[in-house]
Amino acid sequence: MTELLDAVGFGLVAASILAMAAVALSLQMSVARIPNFAHGEIMTAGAYAAYLVSLWNGNILLEGLGAALVGGVVAFIMNATLLEPFAKRKPKLLILFILTIAASLILQNIMLGIFGGASLGYHLAPSPPEQIGPFLLTAQNLVTIGAAFAFMFAVHIVLKYTKFGKAQRAVADSRELARVSGINSDLIVRLTWLMNGVIAGVAGFALAVSVGSITPTMGQGYLLVVFAAVILGGIGKPYGAMAGALVIGLAISVSSVYIPGGYTEAVAFVLMILTLLFRPSGIFSSPRARMQSI
Amino acid sequence: MTIYLISLATTGVVFAIIALGLHVRWGLAGEFDLSLFAIAAIGGYVYAVLALPPAHLPPPATYILGLKLPFLVSLAGAIIVSGLLSAMIGAVALRKLRDDYFGITTVATALILALFIGQYIPLFDGYAGLGGIPQPLANLPGWGANGGYFLGVCVVALIVVYFILERLNVSPFGRALRSVREDDVASQAFGRNAYALKLKAYVLGGCVAGLGGALLAAYLTAFNSYAWTPTETFLLYAAIFVGGTGNIRGAILGTFFVEVVIQEATRYIPAVAGNSNFPDAARLVVIGLLIVAVLWLRPRGLFPEPRARDKGPGSTAEVATTAVPTNGAPHD
Repeated sequence: MTELLDAVGFGLVAASILAMAAVALSLQMSVARIPNFAHGEIMTAGAYAAYLVSLWNGNILLEGLGAALVGGVVAFIMNATLLEPFAKRKPKLLILFILTIAASLILQNIMLGIFGGASLGYHLAPSPPEQIGPFLLTAQNLVTIGAAFAFMFAVHIVLKYTKFGKAQRAVADSRELARVSGINSDLIVRLTWLMNGVIAGVAGFALAVSVGSITPTMGQGYLLVVFAAVILGGIGKPYGAMAGALVIGLAISVSSVYIPGGYTEAVAFVLMILTLLFRPSGIFSSPRARMQSI
Repeated sequence: MTIYLISLATTGVVFAIIALGLHVRWGLAGEFDLSLFAIAAIGGYVYAVLALPPAHLPPPATYILGLKLPFLVSLAGAIIVSGLLSAMIGAVALRKLRDDYFGITTVATALILALFIGQYIPLFDGYAGLGGIPQPLANLPGWGANGGYFLGVCVVALIVVYFILERLNVSPFGRALRSVREDDVASQAFGRNAYALKLKAYVLGGCVAGLGGALLAAYLTAFNSYAWTPTETFLLYAAIFVGGTGNIRGAILGTFFVEVVIQEATRYIPAVAGNSNFPDAARLVVIGLLIVAVLWLRPRGLFPEPRARDKGPGSTAEVATTAVPTNGAPHD
């Protein structure tokens, strides 16, 4: 029983990191509508940025800020220099997806070229685990969970109560209709990429700290788990992505109690494939939404 | 020098065969499949365990079978297993997924396969992989030891696959496939079973990739699961984009360009101090930029797919297939 509770506690931490990454991806997929294969590389870039900041100053807030800044800039530039010019030609969606694969190849190997392939150890000041409710968590775990909640809340406020969020929802519904009602759709899409990168960069930082190391392929290895959360929650539904992250995060860590550790990632992939096949609009979808399959 | 040239040529020919598997799936059927290299790897593993003698490794290291079968029988086994596995994956994934989610599903499938093969030692010895895989004709005097005769075997295999696919291209099956690729709804309206056609192409592509993978294992004589990350499949896509989607010769030339020319050209980039991965990283950045450049400048590749023509007066009109799935820009 303790083992199971520990697994749930660890699952909550994993779900927090995953929720940040998944909400960022889902938000971008609802507004800019591109399944981004380079999302993992944005996370990796954030992790390396935080690491570089930590060499100069070990303040966790500064490290997080560095991750957010670099993640945001990388995502913004990727959209501005690569995806937007192609999107202007109105290609098939698949072409844009292929471009993000190329971007992933380029970004990942730029980082490999700069930092090398060996894994860089990255630890924050160690803190002893403490009993909190039924779970055993370190202070660092609590910061991660807190950061995830803060970001979820911020995304909620932006989407629901700001003019920018309203415009984002309008562009997500129909880019053309948003444009004719006076919204600068291109600008909204660009800013959404920036926002996506900021959150993904911080998620990469949290992932690196929780794993204890960074490699250039770290983000790519994590990407499909993020996609699993996004797809489970319903593609392009940021709130669904939060729930999807919780399900996937808990499924991975709880299943590790019952099956050998090496196989746990496969649990997330299998859940994702089953969702795509049987509930393509997500496991929380209404019956009406289910009629419009992807 | 001879050995060097033979190894370059063998690499190019073997990868060209695997790329032709992708040509069937993506070029002809328009399936954005990201699991192809995993299927090729299964072909390699199956060839290895059929051709190797029974396992005598220090436990827990071991592998299944070890039947010591002749080369051609092992090759056939690899092709059959790759085809069966493709049929299983394709039967599920081709059912109703949109292109990009089909891609994500297949890449997840490839990762599950890699995870399982890496973790489950009794199958193919886990992450350690298989070694001492028999290469045919290697013991003959003369050109045996440096792989010259084996290169001949690979070239023959490539030629056979080439002619089969060339026939397929002009066959009713090939035309039906292209019609599905261009517009599956319209094709179904004309009575084609799009799902069955796509599944057949998926299995055929898997068989070709399995053959290529088996030859790759025989060429390398050692095989483990580190060798087949999704990146390998991306490189094959780069080769096909450069060569021209839907064009067989383009796929072969593109493969030689990406897997041999770029590989050799970037070999001489010096390793930066303390970073032995620098030349590799530079090569993959170049290939990534190449994909972007080709899609921007020549979305149909350097050797575009030839347009299908009417066979003259009296023949029933065959729909000219001009557009290609990679068609990002207005046609020329």
